[in-house]
Parts: sequence; C-alpha cells; structure tokens
Amino acid sequence: MLGYQNKVLRIDLSKKTAKTEPLRMDWAEKYIGSKGLTIKYLYEELKPGIDPLSEDNKLIFMTGPMTGTTVPCSGKLSVAGKSPATGTICDCSIGGHAALRIKYAGYDAIIIEGALNKPGYLLIEDDNISFEDGSELWGKGCHETEAILIDKYDHDYSVLTIGPAGETLSGMACITSDYYRQAGRGGMGSVMGSKNLKAVVVKGTGKVEIPNIVDAVKRIAEIEREDTLLEDNTFVFDLGTTAFLEACQDGGILPYKNFSDTTDENWTEYNGDVLMEKLAGKRGCGSCGLGCGNFLKIGDAICEGPEYETIAAFGPNAGNRDPEAIVKANQVADDMGLDTISAGDVLNWAMEMTEKGIYDFGIHFGEMDKYIEYLKMMAKGEGIGKELAMGVKKLAEKYGGSDFAMHVKGLEYPQYEPRGSWGMSLAYAVSDRGACHMRAYAPNEEVFAASIPPYTPEGKGELVFNLAQFNAVKFSLCICDFWATLSMDTMAELMTLVTGKEWTADDMAEVGTRVINIARAFNQREGFTAKDDTAPKRIFNDALKNGPAAGQKIPEEAFEDMKQQYYAVMGWNADGTLPDSLIATL
Amino acid sequence: MGNVKRLRFTKQKCIGCQLCGQVCSATHEGAFVPSKARVFIETYYDKGGDLKYKDSYCNLCGICFKNCPTGAISMDDKILVDHDVCIGCGTCAAKCPRKVVRLREEKSYICDTCNGDPMCVKVCPQGALIFE
Repeated sequence: MLGYQNKVLRIDLSKKTAKTEPLRMDWAEKYIGSKGLTIKYLYEELKPGIDPLSEDNKLIFMTGPMTGTTVPCSGKLSVAGKSPATGTICDCSIGGHAALRIKYAGYDAIIIEGALNKPGYLLIEDDNISFEDGSELWGKGCHETEAILIDKYDHDYSVLTIGPAGETLSGMACITSDYYRQAGRGGMGSVMGSKNLKAVVVKGTGKVEIPNIVDAVKRIAEIEREDTLLEDNTFVFDLGTTAFLEACQDGGILPYKNFSDTTDENWTEYNGDVLMEKLAGKRGCGSCGLGCGNFLKIGDAICEGPEYETIAAFGPNAGNRDPEAIVKANQVADDMGLDTISAGDVLNWAMEMTEKGIYDFGIHFGEMDKYIEYLKMMAKGEGIGKELAMGVKKLAEKYGGSDFAMHVKGLEYPQYEPRGSWGMSLAYAVSDRGACHMRAYAPNEEVFAASIPPYTPEGKGELVFNLAQFNAVKFSLCICDFWATLSMDTMAELMTLVTGKEWTADDMAEVGTRVINIARAFNQREGFTAKDDTAPKRIFNDALKNGPAAGQKIPEEAFEDMKQQYYAVMGWNADGTLPDSLIATL
Repeated sequence: MGNVKRLRFTKQKCIGCQLCGQVCSATHEGAFVPSKARVFIETYYDKGGDLKYKDSYCNLCGICFKNCPTGAISMDDKILVDHDVCIGCGTCAAKCPRKVVRLREEKSYICDTCNGDPMCVKVCPQGALIFE
C-alpha cells in the first residue's frame, strides 16, 4: 500500500544502535497506523507484567498513512508505551509538526528501546541518526530545552522533549513539541525520562508518495473545502476549545471545586471571549486548516491555549476565576512537562482534603500563587510536591479521601462532570488508558446535541461503543478530533486515495472494533477486568446541587448496567474480559 | 505587468499548516516533498515567546528572467524554465530576492503559478495566500 514509508526506525538506547526494518504491512492492513498500529506493536513486543519505568518498556512514535499528505487535520503523532500511571496500554496523540518530519525523514515509526546510561538526546536527520549528550539540558524546562535545541539546529527541526516531571518519573509527565503541544496523559514523559532520553530532534527532507497524486490532491482539496472548513468545525479557529466552557456551563457538566458540584456563577470572568481579547496569534499543526492554537499573552503569562481542559482544571475546579492565573499556571505546567489535567485534579483534590480537614496539604481553593509553586514542586519532586506527584489514586490510598479522588485506574478525570452526562462515566470507566475524554466523548450526544437523554443508563452501552469505534478509526488514521463533521465514508475515501487500496466504511468500522479489542486484550493480559472499570464514589453518592443537572447522581446499579451493555455490544464476557474467539481475531 | 496576477501573502492570516509546500511538491514533483517545493511558508515560536513567520514564494518580480544568461527563463504572465536550455549556473537563484529558486541536478526550478491556477492558493485554508 502507498501512503506508508514501509520503514521503521528501531533505536536501542542501551547499545546506542539505530536499525531500520520494514513496517509490518500485514499489521497495517488490520490496524492502519497511529493509535491502532502502535498498540499492535506493543501488544506483540512487550512482555506482560513489565515495569513501565524499566528498560523493558518501549516508547513508540507512530505516524499513519496520511501523515505528511494534504489530508486535512492529519498532522498528529501517536506516542505510546505501557503507562506508569495506570499499568495499562497508553497511546497519546501530539500535534505540531513532529509527525510530518518523522515521515519525511523516511519512517512510519520510531521504536525506542532500552535506556541511555546518562542523559542524552536523539538526533534524526533523514538517514543520519546520532546519540547526543544531553547532560546540560537535564533539569531544564521543556521551553528552554526546545529553545536551545532549535537555536543549535534550525526551525525546520522538530523537538520532542520532556521537562523536570519526566526526569523525576512522575506518572503525570508529558512529552512536549512545538513548545505548546503535548502527548499529555498517562506519563509518557516519564517513560522517556526513565530512558534518560531528554529529547528527540528530527528533520526530514524526503518524500511521501500516494497513487495518482495530481488528481488525489485536487480531490483532497475539495474535501477540505466541502467537509473540513465548515462552520461546524471552524469554531475551533475562532475560539479554540475555550468554546466548550460556555457549552459545558450551560449543559451542567463544568466541574466546580474538585467535582464537588457544577456551575460557577462568575464563569464569564474567564470564558473564551475574555481570553480571546488577549490573542497574540494563531498557529495550528502541520496539514491542518483549522488552526485551533490560540497564542495568548496576559501580562507576563504566555501560552498556546489555554485549552478547555486546563481552563476548567485550573479555573472553576480549582475555585479560581482569575484568567491570568489560569494562563500562568498553564505556562508553568507546560514548561515543567506536567499534564494539566492530572496535575490539576491532584491539586484540586489536595485542596478539598485540606478544607475538609482530612489532611492538611497547606493549600486551599483559589490559592493560585501557591498552586503554581506546587506545580513546580510536583514536577521537580520537591517537598510536598514529591507526594502529590504520586497521583490521586496512590495519594488517596495513603491519606484517605478516595471517595472524591477523581480517577479511573490511576488516570485522573478529564473536566466533564459525568453526573450531567451519564454516558461519560461509562466512557471514562472503559477507556483503554484510564479516565480519558478522547476515547468516547458522550457529552456531544447527551448534552450538546441532546440526541439522547443524559440522565439514564438506557442506550449508553451502544452510544459509547459507537463513539469509541469511530474515534479508534480516526486516531488510527492520525486525524485530529476537531474535524467534527468527519464520517466513516470520508475516512474510507481518504484511505482509498492515500493507499490505493479500496476501503469501505464497513472496513473502517471493523478496524475500529479491532483496535478497541486489542487495547482491551493488552490490559487484560496485565490483569485488568470489569472490577477496574470504576467511577469515583462521589459520582454515585452525592447529588449535584447547582446548575442544569442539579439533583443528579448516578445510581451504582445504573453504572453497572451501562458497563454490561457495553461489554455485550463488544461481545466481551460479563467480567469484562475478551473471549478467546475475539482474541484470535487480533 | 500591472494586470498580471501574482501570489500575495498575508502573514496575519497564516496558521503555519504548510499545506502550500505539500501541495506544490505533489503537483510538481509527484510526491509530498516540501523540501523541494517552490513555495514554502512556515511559522514558529521564537524561543516560545513570539510568533514568527518565514515566507518563501514567487511574486513574479522577474529578476531571474532578466538575469538569466542563457535565455532559459521566459516570463509572460508566469515564469517558465526551459530545462533543455538551462545550464544550472545558479544566477537566478543567487539573484532571487525571495530565495524561492530551487536548484538541483544542475537545473533551476521556479514557481509557474500552476499555469495560472495555483494549487497552494486552492488549499490555503485561511486565505493567507491569494492570487490576484
């Protein structure tokens, strides 16, 4: 199939060797690329039970057949390994330009094995691979590290780097590129840190080929005009994800003070309109016409974003309504290499612990100067920050407060209150990497489109399956979530254009189901079953008091009902495991 | 010259997607290979703190045409390079004020505006590149 480079770069950091091998095209036919294909590689190559922070873990950067082409929104890169936060499979998707440069350098994927014996970085210039000394970069933030490396090389290089959080092996350490783009969740930054790998620097000058390219780019340009650059999608250019703030507020799913409630009557003080007044520029990812990145400056505080997740985590959920503090905290977390969702949930939990008198972490809701200092301490593993860097699951096991420790399998909750969108509690519970909003985004149907009633278990198994199957395909093609009008038919047409092999919508759907199954099979092999598909007790026990979803809580029986519906749709056993017949299809 | 359509770029509208260079190379080189594209525009964060732009596109100034010692370059409402005549001397590339002449294998490659219907303009999602 065209679209691929048919080449994998395999790096052994322990031996300092770089070898190339053909891409497993038999696997690519079943899993396409990006998310699906990287999980297949890890499923085949990682031994069960390994320590995610040992040399036995692998870190994979995986592109897809559309990477480097003009297919809209195709600039994302999958970053995957076994997660130190959860012990599950974990694939992240990072924007920017790194995916394109890896592909133009000639590779579908980079598989990184072993560990360096001292800090270093990997330099990839097409066929030339070298292992460079990184001792002077170690300890530096993501932003300074990228600035030094870009200064040394040039702007046509991409830098993927970790900050102090990755070096201290925190489960909430991310990998950063283009300064403000992250492979955010599940601690992929600490997998890189455990390998003493501070950065990957890549430049590519080669080509990507697809069949009948002159006609194909004309058709792709039509698709861009007719399907991508529509008002339903271009709101991400106008407002970015800040638009979700108002939508979630109006829908009763904007969490407040560590998910103790929803709704902040003063939310307009930090909404998208307020933030957009501080816009200093727009920047998107490679191959994307939507350009969601809002480059903001408020006083000394600078960031690209803040994204909805960060606004919610550092805003209402932290009891804060100062937009400058949100941007400043975002800037610090990005520089430290911390996932803003997990770090935010941890601090918000710690503030509730303090205010409830269960344990005094020395921080109260709304104390943003301290919040920002705590973020630095968490990343550097200093003082109380070293404790907080454990994540809410382990913290609650040690200090109490597990009823309101917002996580699934050790991955902290994204900022959508599930009591106002019951399907989201199921989506968080069955997601392949712990609580994640990118696997199945139920609020779209339950709240924004209101196509299915939100406060009932009815139909939620099928809803979450349909959403998860679609996203599993989309992320295996490396296409971004923000192309909201994308359909299975369009994905099939794009695959046909790029690979030269005929794909149908049914073929795509089959891949989606297979990708969900192999991720589940990986986790099953690690011992995960239905008992791990959980929700925090707060969701079951405490009714929301304010907002459109006031009075709502999710009865535990309803939650279990939704899980069983989902397992049934997937053809899984009642204990959440895959029958052997399904494992045989992987 | 006054009525000739030419590429124009508005940096405030550019989001740095680089679709222009991709589609240019697809059209002229038969592959996505932006390093060989005749238009290349990128944006970057200078040390993370300022958004900067690098633009490289032909605006039909004609300096290459006027300086070509062999007459390989013709210019009507577009630039064309006759590769049978071009000796790859590099004068055009050296004189080009926008550094958009690509030299390889002793031949010069210059934007031909896709014969008056530039693909880079067609794919530019935000109207940063226009042809008028």
